[in-house]
Amino acid sequence: MNYSMIKVLIVKDWYLQRWMVLASLLGGLIALGIVCVGGNAAFMLGLVLLITALIAVGAQLAIATMVNERKEQTLPFVMSLPISYREYTTAKLLGTLLIFMLPWLTLVMGVVALFAVPHGVPHGLLPFTAIMATEILVGTCFIVSIALVTESQGWTVAAIMVGNVGLNVVGYFVAHITGIAKGMNGSTVSWSPAATALLLSEFTAIALLLTLTFFLQSRKRDFL
Amino acid sequence: MHSDLVISQSDGRPMYLQIVEQIKQRVAVGDWAGGQEIPSIRQLAVALCVSVITVKRAYLELEREGVIVTQHGKGSMVASNPALTPRFYEEELAEHVERAARLGDLLGLSPQELGSRVSDTAARLIGDRTKEIV
Amino acid sequence: MKNLTVQFEGVSKKYPHFSLDNIDLELPTGSIMGFIGANGAGKSTTIRILMGLVHQDSGTVNVLGHSMPAKQAAAKLEIGFVSEDMRLYAAATVGWHMKFIRSIYPRWDQPYAEKLLQRFDLKAQQKVKGLSHGQRVKAALLLALARRPRLLVLDEPTTGLDPIARHEVLGELMAVLADEDRTILFSSHNTQDVEQMSDVITFIDRGKIINSDDKEIFLDRWRRLRLVLPQDTALPLLPGVIDVGGSNRLPVLTTNRFEPAMVSICQDLGVTVNAVDTMTLEEIFVANVQCRRETQTV
Repeated sequence: MNYSMIKVLIVKDWYLQRWMVLASLLGGLIALGIVCVGGNAAFMLGLVLLITALIAVGAQLAIATMVNERKEQTLPFVMSLPISYREYTTAKLLGTLLIFMLPWLTLVMGVVALFAVPHGVPHGLLPFTAIMATEILVGTCFIVSIALVTESQGWTVAAIMVGNVGLNVVGYFVAHITGIAKGMNGSTVSWSPAATALLLSEFTAIALLLTLTFFLQSRKRDFL
Repeated sequence: MHSDLVISQSDGRPMYLQIVEQIKQRVAVGDWAGGQEIPSIRQLAVALCVSVITVKRAYLELEREGVIVTQHGKGSMVASNPALTPRFYEEELAEHVERAARLGDLLGLSPQELGSRVSDTAARLIGDRTKEIV
Repeated sequence: MKNLTVQFEGVSKKYPHFSLDNIDLELPTGSIMGFIGANGAGKSTTIRILMGLVHQDSGTVNVLGHSMPAKQAAAKLEIGFVSEDMRLYAAATVGWHMKFIRSIYPRWDQPYAEKLLQRFDLKAQQKVKGLSHGQRVKAALLLALARRPRLLVLDEPTTGLDPIARHEVLGELMAVLADEDRTILFSSHNTQDVEQMSDVITFIDRGKIINSDDKEIFLDRWRRLRLVLPQDTALPLLPGVIDVGGSNRLPVLTTNRFEPAMVSICQDLGVTVNAVDTMTLEEIFVANVQCRRETQTV
């Protein structure tokens, strides 16, 4: 594995997407600001905007770094570089997720900071928040994998919709799991075994998605 | 030095022949002196934007005719005594005579009619030149 | 024992509506090969297999000593590739692309790159999306040339270029060959350029290599003979005649095995030889393909 070439490719994708990523980061920070205004309405609005910003950047990254390579016909240029297809897959998959994690991590830290504010968000919401934040990461991983394997705009958009719906469905279910729902409005953090299990399964899902993507990519015989 | 060769794409003759001819002309006229170094096959190919294999063929032909000499590892140069002039012009004359004969045949001229046309023209040329000198 | 930069042996690739059939190809180091074929004949597929971008179904491919597609990363470090369907990143500048390639290829020649910028009339600060088609092609070629590759693979490098740009590009391509360790493979519809510049020429049609030889051999062996048959005389049987055109009394024979002796054979039989025409590469290609397609439908 040529790690320096992988780094070159990831830096290239960052360079080409940097404004879009920074813009969504800015949007997310504004959303956090709205939450700080206080009150239920601001809270809900800010939350929706925050999640929207994160989903948007994930979707846009998937399309821009993978689907567009084929659409804008830059794929032959990239594949003429001294890389194997495995290195290309690694650079795209891990690179896109790493770039995504820049706004994701920043905004998650921002949310955690809001918890630290006295009389701010009830601390009982922390497990739920952690699970949902990780769920966004899983969703993005899913979208990125589909984008890489199919290189098709149609399939990727479908994956984005599935991801969206999935996020809402998961959110509803998790909020109603006894172990979590109980402590949600409390002012102390209560990590239930259910919460831990959910987090673990999310990380497992990410690992599985990545492994499956690598496997499917290795079976391809025509790269152009 | 080598870029003064000009290859014409619309010339019906094979490219290697054009190169052969132009090099012979330069030697005959004295632009390329006996013993002078000439560009390597590759250098000339690049300068003329012509394939190496074509220039190689031209050089082989020129070497066969004794116009140039290639020394392994040292490159190519004009033969020190090409004795080119009479032979070069001899071949050109033969070519033109052949063509004139064919044209005469197409026009329906008899060999004698063709012959007298040629000698009349040659005589006129010599006459013009004598007038110039005088 | 020739030093080969590219070697294909028995390469085949099957697609739903097209297949590449048993391709053998040899590209000696230091030479330039022109690759001629109709659209859809298999030129691009062959080139992609050469680059390791398409995995062949059977057969071996060796490029610069590396087996493809397994060792494509190592091979591509020495290759400059430009294809007609390749685009650069529209939002970035020419200069950014140059820095990008420079960071990857150790033999990048910056002074040469700047000379090419001037030659090709490009500016480093220009954004790719603002370039015309011809400028884009020249930019891609600059990126391929300035890395001083041992092998240049070009799929239709001059298509869509105006005559001036084409002339500049071809001049730079030939300059590559001043180094006898460097090799070029290019496919083109411009048979005149191929005829002038190539050492070796390969014809491909409908997924098969139909002819591959030294250019001078092609140009030497193919002729059109214009004959005048006297009454009640049969057509002389000459070797390699693949087409007979013209009329009964004024036949035109196309042969791919011409020898000067043929002219005297005809004259001995009382047949007048009006002309022995050389054929351009385009005429040779078309005649070759048509003859082959006719024999296949029979």
